[in-house]
Amino acid sequence: MRESGLRSFVARRLLLGIAQTVAVVLLVFALTEALPGDAAVALAGDQPDPARIAAIREAMDLDRPAYERLADWATGLLHGDFGASLASGRPVARYIADGFGPSLLLAALTLALLLPLGLGLGVLAARHEGRLLDRLVSSVTLAVYAVPEFALGVLLVTVFALKLAWFPPTAVGYGTDLLAHPAALVLPVLVLLARPVCSLSRLVRAGMIDALAAPYTAHARRYGVPGARVRYAHALPNALAPAAQQLARTVDWLLCGVIVVEALFVIPGLGTVLLNAVAERDVPVVQGLAVVFGVLTVVLNLGADVVAYRLTPRAGVAA
Amino acid sequence: MTARAPAGSRFLLGAVIVAVPLALALLGPVLAGDPGPRSVSFTLGGGHWLGTDFVGRDVWQQVLHGGRTVVLTGLAATALAYLVALPVGLVSAVTRARRLEELLMRPLDVLLAVPSLLLILLVASVFTPGAVGLALLVALVNVPDAARIVRAAAGEAAARPAVEALRMQGETWWRVAVGYVGRATVRTLAADAGVRLTGVLYLVSTAAFLGVGVAPDAADWAVMVDRNRTGLMVQPWAVVVPAVLIVALTTGTNLLFDAVLGAPSEVPRRGLWRLRLLRGWSRSSPRPFRGAAEPFLEKGRRVP
Repeated sequence: MRESGLRSFVARRLLLGIAQTVAVVLLVFALTEALPGDAAVALAGDQPDPARIAAIREAMDLDRPAYERLADWATGLLHGDFGASLASGRPVARYIADGFGPSLLLAALTLALLLPLGLGLGVLAARHEGRLLDRLVSSVTLAVYAVPEFALGVLLVTVFALKLAWFPPTAVGYGTDLLAHPAALVLPVLVLLARPVCSLSRLVRAGMIDALAAPYTAHARRYGVPGARVRYAHALPNALAPAAQQLARTVDWLLCGVIVVEALFVIPGLGTVLLNAVAERDVPVVQGLAVVFGVLTVVLNLGADVVAYRLTPRAGVAA
Repeated sequence: MTARAPAGSRFLLGAVIVAVPLALALLGPVLAGDPGPRSVSFTLGGGHWLGTDFVGRDVWQQVLHGGRTVVLTGLAATALAYLVALPVGLVSAVTRARRLEELLMRPLDVLLAVPSLLLILLVASVFTPGAVGLALLVALVNVPDAARIVRAAAGEAAARPAVEALRMQGETWWRVAVGYVGRATVRTLAADAGVRLTGVLYLVSTAAFLGVGVAPDAADWAVMVDRNRTGLMVQPWAVVVPAVLIVALTTGTNLLFDAVLGAPSEVPRRGLWRLRLLRGWSRSSPRPFRGAAEPFLEKGRRVP
């Protein structure tokens, strides 16, 4: 009964995921169609000389009907062919490959630190519920939760990089090999962590308070199960379902955050590539990156929903 | 259940923190007066209280002018998002035609897949949206999630026996949908609006920082942070003052709404966790997280 419930849930969720992927591809493609007037003229922008317009038209196959171009582009995507940049003529896949390293490093570091920090803070606050420590943690997380990365980042740079000179203010000059310069990573990762840590720890705190007040934990205590074991082996797993869900939503934030942080600290990752392409109106590059980001979000959300469903199997029965 | 004790002090704290940027944003342009001549860029002193910015304008003048766009765009985007989300969510909750509900809600599920800043940047790569365009975009990004919150809150109210009774009495659709179901969801939506406004302010200022929806030399706090970064070493005030004001605005809004509405704003922007937490907390239910994955696949009405 439960197995079949999970299977049908996964099947339906997969269908939604596929629909979302298709929609992302269509939406991204529709963008060039939405260009006012002649797309080639619009994209040439500041340099409207006829040669450039012709080159753009040639590069994007604008003379062919839209559905043919969509079919070509979509088949290309399936084979990892994202088209070529308008500005440089290099394949978009190269841009993605070049920017992938730094962005992945930032995201991986953030996620690796996010889990222990978020869970730890949440459990800590829940253990001291209502007391000074909890109020302090709750207020600070509530306050920091809302702050945009760029404002927080710029203030941290002013204090820690310029006044105290503990860390370099940007990653300029380090290239893509950021791991060799850990000092340059401290502030970016700190900025990226700020919002997700707050949201995760608040969710864990709420879940833990509920779980610690539940009859089964009281029962476990009456049996003489040690406090730490009750907390981490019994209560915490039950507090994790909303956290798993939140972790996937964090992908959305992390993506926004990575774009901003890369711009702020001049890190040559995917976010910088995207912003440059947006500034240059290099539509193929923007489209390629958007598809990569969009599909990544769809897949991670799907995974988190399945995990959350596994953590609360009764949902299928109760709903 | 939660520590609501400091709500009073938190309200005061939030109100004080948000008052400064809000007053500057709304009254600043009135008080600013004549911009005066430009001088050398990135200087300190010389008749300029906070020094000059990257093109030699007075920073204090820019600060006075720079809050209005963020605040007004944020408020407009939040209102616009609800203008669309309210009818869509309400109709799909009250209607008995499953097809109509699917038709209204499914496309929104699909839109949820696109990360918000990505969508804004996508559009910015093709068009050059102004402040109005940015407000529309941010509203659009917020519609799917808001509609789902409305749909879920109204769906619960619509499943109550009272609605059945109203229908059997032959009350009009309008009276049932707006008069009863709509009114029953007001509190949840007010809490959601607070969280949403915080998120919208975040998105609006971040987009402005990245140069979307603003002129490159606009008097806008986020733009000031971006453009004056090059002179951070020489003239930190041109960056620090607007950055602190943005921090105060977003933080204060969040603290204030949390204290007023008791909204658990830590809950993710997307999905219905927020709503479930709200309900779970207000009823002190031992299992507020029931139905974790339900929002995606919710078919029909939950049995109350």
